Amino acid sequence: MQEGDHLSEQISQLLDSLREKAERGELLYIGENIVRVDSLEKVLGNPVYTADLIPKGTIYAKLFHSSIPHGVIKVMEIGGAKTHPGVLGVMTHKDIPGLNESSAVLPDRQLFADSMVRSTADILGAVVAETASAAADAAARIKVEYEPLPAIFDPLEALKPDAIKIHPKGNIARQMKIRKGNVDEGFAKSHLILEKTYRTQFQDATPLEPEMGLAIPEDGGVRVIGSMQSPHHTQAAVAKVLGLPQEKVRVIQAVTGGAFGPKSDETPYDVCSTAALAAVKYRRPVFCGMDREDSMVMHTKRHPFVISHKTGVTSDGMLLADESRIVGDTGAYASLGVFVVVRATFHTVGAYEVPNVKADSYLVYTDNTYAGSLRGFGGPQAIFAIESQMEELARRLGIDPLEFRLRNMLVPGKRNATSAVMDSSCGLPQCVEKVVASSRYREKAARYRNQTGSVRRGLGLALLMHGNSLGPEGNDYGAVHIEILSDGTVSVGSGLTEYGTGAVSGMMQVASSVLGVPLSRFKLERPDTSKHRESGPTVASRVIVIGGNASKLAAEKLREKILPLAAEMLKTERNRVAIADGVAFDRLNLSATLDWDDLVKEAYRRGIGLREEGYFMAPQAPWDQEIGQGTPYLQYTWGALVAEVEVDMDTGYYKVVGVHAAYDVGKAVNPAGVLGQIYGGTVQGLGYAMMEELIHREGSVVNPNLGDYYIPTSMDIPQEFKAFIVEVPGPLGPFGAKIIAEPPIVLPGPALRNAVLNATGVSVDDLPVTSEKVLMGMRPQQAPRTA
Amino acid sequence: MTMRVISLNVNGTDHSVQVGPLDRLIDVLRDQLGFKSVKEGCSTGDCGICAVMVDGKLVNSCLMLASQCDGRRVLTLEGLVNDLSMKRLQGSFIANNAAQCGFCTPAMLMASWDLARHKADPSEDEIKVAISGILCRCTGYYQIIDSVREGCKRGTT
Repeated sequence: MQEGDHLSEQISQLLDSLREKAERGELLYIGENIVRVDSLEKVLGNPVYTADLIPKGTIYAKLFHSSIPHGVIKVMEIGGAKTHPGVLGVMTHKDIPGLNESSAVLPDRQLFADSMVRSTADILGAVVAETASAAADAAARIKVEYEPLPAIFDPLEALKPDAIKIHPKGNIARQMKIRKGNVDEGFAKSHLILEKTYRTQFQDATPLEPEMGLAIPEDGGVRVIGSMQSPHHTQAAVAKVLGLPQEKVRVIQAVTGGAFGPKSDETPYDVCSTAALAAVKYRRPVFCGMDREDSMVMHTKRHPFVISHKTGVTSDGMLLADESRIVGDTGAYASLGVFVVVRATFHTVGAYEVPNVKADSYLVYTDNTYAGSLRGFGGPQAIFAIESQMEELARRLGIDPLEFRLRNMLVPGKRNATSAVMDSSCGLPQCVEKVVASSRYREKAARYRNQTGSVRRGLGLALLMHGNSLGPEGNDYGAVHIEILSDGTVSVGSGLTEYGTGAVSGMMQVASSVLGVPLSRFKLERPDTSKHRESGPTVASRVIVIGGNASKLAAEKLREKILPLAAEMLKTERNRVAIADGVAFDRLNLSATLDWDDLVKEAYRRGIGLREEGYFMAPQAPWDQEIGQGTPYLQYTWGALVAEVEVDMDTGYYKVVGVHAAYDVGKAVNPAGVLGQIYGGTVQGLGYAMMEELIHREGSVVNPNLGDYYIPTSMDIPQEFKAFIVEVPGPLGPFGAKIIAEPPIVLPGPALRNAVLNATGVSVDDLPVTSEKVLMGMRPQQAPRTA
Repeated sequence: MTMRVISLNVNGTDHSVQVGPLDRLIDVLRDQLGFKSVKEGCSTGDCGICAVMVDGKLVNSCLMLASQCDGRRVLTLEGLVNDLSMKRLQGSFIANNAAQCGFCTPAMLMASWDLARHKADPSEDEIKVAISGILCRCTGYYQIIDSVREGCKRGTT
């Protein structure tokens, strides 16, 4: 067979597949399991993470922090550290030439505390030494004398009017409310009113790579390489501390070994600012990396919440009113917590229509270590509370929990807590249908109703509504530039970052689809503040939606430049040209083809610039701050999860034997990637549900290591896991895509808690659901755990 | 502190390195010899992402002193780039989306390679046990387990 015939056959096949896709309303590559652009470097173990990039001659900065939860710093003895072999110096607040501030939203936190500490996570300074071990040894020699102040560790105590003030303006960092309808009228009509309080714990995100920053002095400023989600925000934070204009601080995001939220918060500022301070002071490259203990003490955690619900229902199980009080413990500093509490409040009645809703929420300072951004961002706490409440209501009404949910859940036409009307993009019913069928819910629930043995099973259900877009958290925009290099490589750059989810590959897959060039020809540029436009924080799983749209716009601009050229070269009309798998061809004359590389070469020869930027800003999401009503989110991800547990009634020991989860992601750009988020988020959520609790005692973290703070291993995952992708296109994302990285962490907590309840009759209202709590619940004669 | 010179073989090459009594194997591998696939995640032997082979056994290199490695043979991911069994596993990890942030990936591959040496067709439970000492926070393990099952098969690659 001749080369030309072969090519023509190939094109013919491509064209067929293109036509088939067009008939189905799909685009090339979208919906295919495409290999991520960063897979190869990862399986080869290439040196791409921050600590792998330390150049020769680098010195090391070790942070040291407060040992008491609240007090005045009287004396800091740093002499012993300074004279330790290998030590170059000790930096404290006196060494900060700019502003001593390291905060994301409210200016409430200093980089190095100057006179007062409000938690054991407060950083006092850093030892700088020739080696990491010398810096660590010397840091242990620093002695600080404090005048202790009374401390508060319980957010409900901190809310009392006579509580000591942790910050001058008081202990409430943020308040928020929802007023929908009239709850009193709703309660008056109710057949049953249930009041219950739910509590959640501190969770540590535990990215396997802790926070790292490397700073190299250059050009009257500094170049910073670090592990982070938001390089432009880090740039601003570092410049502020150094007292330099932002252009003197260049920040590059290294490949980042997991993030999950804390790396969008203030801790990357701390390590990068410290490294940069020392780099400027000592005129040498400086590495400031946290070890696991540093990270678990000093970085932000998931906020513990205390959520009380008072809910009224009719006798036939229709929700009438819900009043909630939501209190989030942000520890000593607000961080991104000001937005966490807002998201929690908007999700206070979850995926249900409740005609009358009243919510009052408070983000409260305590002297615990501080909490901030973490996957789910207030969703896990809010949904744990409301889904637990739903289960309790169903049991009291004597209605099957599934039927109760079906009667009240959001479907197109119904209104959520903010009175936003659900449109046809609400795929919740489809998600429920999938998990009910897969888990054989009805049959099993009936079978498990009257168990008597010492080993019992139970099913638990939970439903999800998860608002997409930043909404109340700020303008939701992103810029992506695409440059086609002379060798045909498509180079993509953005201030939006990759830290594990694969979202950036997905964003590039969108461009790949528009251009008709496979992702294998694409290259991802390292996010660099000197090259890429500020694109807001990489949070809220927004890369696929916002970055995807920006990437699509950039690719469409390039296509407009390329197609006319291809038409000219193929001697045909522009609207007859298509590009697929890197080959341009005439749709009506298959023998006329043109290789992508030749097309690009010709564009270069003619001086056609092949660099375009796409900028996408989401529409405004209006809502009334006074009553919490409006449209704070532009679309929603929907989900349903059934967990099945088996409980040993003699010991309380239980295991999750099955998980059935379905998520409406609008359009799965890369289904394998979507499944990866569902599996990973669910297991992280099961950790939160079953075992994870960062314990504070008098404000000190007692288990800041992976020997005492358990996260799931391969032995802890359910034997059976059925994951389903539902696709009901949303109005915002490219090709209808909705977000998926965060949502799967939300449902395991309440579903597991409800499954244990249905197996044992024990309501565990505070996470995690430990076997100890289950056992104590089954033996009411014994005193329950108080600590 | 007394420094001493030890000799160890890493990935088939003999090295003489000067080590202190508290230097760990991971420090020698990463800082002195430049094998950066070896990652540090906890420094206490809990996360397993520093796993390497020492004389044919998978160990946490953050818990082993460098001076304990005098005269021993160490294998890291870098030393297996041309190994057929490792290549199969790497290909399978890529195809099954088993590397998300990638920070545990080298250790997961080492543990899987160690399993593949002994089992051509491991069961799901055997795979879970083989990787149980290595934490992954991104994947929930399922796509890794699929990759190992597929990668262990001595196919036609």
